Amino acid sequence: MTRRPIAAGMVMSVLFATPLAHAQEKKGAVPAAEMSGLWILQDPGSGSWAEWFDNVPKPQLQPDIVADNQRMAASEAAGNVVNRMPRTAACPVGNLPMMMASSPPLNIVASRDEVLIGAESNRGRFVYTDGRAHRDVKNPSYVPTGFGDSIGHWEGDTLVVDTVGFAPRVCDSRRPVMLVPGGGRAKDTTHLVERFRLAGPDELSVTFTWEDSTVFLAPHTYSYTYKRVPEGIPIENNEDPAAAQPDRQYTTTKAEK
Amino acid sequence: MLLRGFAALVVLVCSTSALAQDGAATARPDLSGYWELRFDSFNVPRASLTTAAQGALEMRRSRDQDAIRGCVNVGMPAVMDDRGVLDIRQSPSVVGMVARSPSSTRYIYTDGRKHPDAEELEGTTNGHSIGRWQAETLVVDTVGFNERGITAIPGGGYRTARSHLTESYRLAASGDQLTVTFTWADPTVFRTPHSYTFRYYKVRAIPEPRVLNCIQNEADRARFLTERPAPARF
Repeated sequence: MTRRPIAAGMVMSVLFATPLAHAQEKKGAVPAAEMSGLWILQDPGSGSWAEWFDNVPKPQLQPDIVADNQRMAASEAAGNVVNRMPRTAACPVGNLPMMMASSPPLNIVASRDEVLIGAESNRGRFVYTDGRAHRDVKNPSYVPTGFGDSIGHWEGDTLVVDTVGFAPRVCDSRRPVMLVPGGGRAKDTTHLVERFRLAGPDELSVTFTWEDSTVFLAPHTYSYTYKRVPEGIPIENNEDPAAAQPDRQYTTTKAEK
Repeated sequence: MLLRGFAALVVLVCSTSALAQDGAATARPDLSGYWELRFDSFNVPRASLTTAAQGALEMRRSRDQDAIRGCVNVGMPAVMDDRGVLDIRQSPSVVGMVARSPSSTRYIYTDGRKHPDAEELEGTTNGHSIGRWQAETLVVDTVGFNERGITAIPGGGYRTARSHLTESYRLAASGDQLTVTFTWADPTVFRTPHSYTFRYYKVRAIPEPRVLNCIQNEADRARFLTERPAPARF
């Protein structure tokens, strides 16, 4: 009689200890759906980047964000359309909302512990799916980027990605903030949840939900649909960085003078 | 009786756990992980170069230096010889590789596709890579390079648009080491195909941030890269 509770306890410990051991090893789950590949966003074809980018359900914005949007629009209407801010080592890398909305296809490699999301050949986001927590994005040693710090997990066939730790500002004299479709912002106080799900073998749906009480009066949600590019060849940006930005040519060194 | 039942349950739980952990998709070796090169990672013999290639080495070295200064994507083979940790991620259809230096992500397609026709293939610094598994070894074939970035090849020579690279990837030491043999063929550069081997060691973490912010017009950086060093005097 006394053996039964002991055996039952041993069974329970085996049942519960197994997943715990995996978590300690920081091993992610095998991806429930093969999302790897090249995915092109289904743009309705407005021909206007701004119209496309803002073609989402209208977010409820804080009054000061509305005012800031009006100020930037007026500045651009007055001809301030060239970014004249120099790019320095302190400038944050990347822009998540723009990358996810851009015409270059997303290039996804979904492994068990990490998902790479690039734009064509370019590097981009790293989504950790190995069970780790977010880095301490408030720690001074954290270097914020426009991609933030992303961790993900699988809920059935859906990859749920949680992102925090965006950069507070970007290096752009026209719009020194990272814009979210519809007129919002992504910054150091912003929290993003994305849900990646295959709607079909060749269709990827991504639903974005942005939260930031300093920007939005309520969570801002919209979805994008991407189509698979079978056997697509990712294109590399072959522009010379200096030639592409003539106002940012190399500094002529003493030796060359 | 109860103990026998318990033993059967333990076996069942362990088996289920192993299946869930490994999954059907990972029957092949999984190269995923963070990999670094160490002081004893290199077996690189000297390449046998054509006369033309020997004559072009200085010009190529200068162009490579310009690429570093200009923050151009370093490309192959420099991405595999990065000073930072190399991140390799494997899915059932593609292997992605991300180096720390300015570079494109390298994609190796393992879904059975062929290289595109030459007229469809725009050259890139990493080229177009396809791979297939031969038992425990991933064999990778790459064509479609351009001549941008760092073109220098370990042991001598350089990458051109005519280069053809074959690689073999194999895990060793219970998955803690990754041995990669590179073989470059290019009649304009090598008299005979040039092979060398790197051994990577697995590391558990990768330094953040993952992307270096390369600023091509930073004056001090440009000066460092271009001025001839003054001799040290004591």
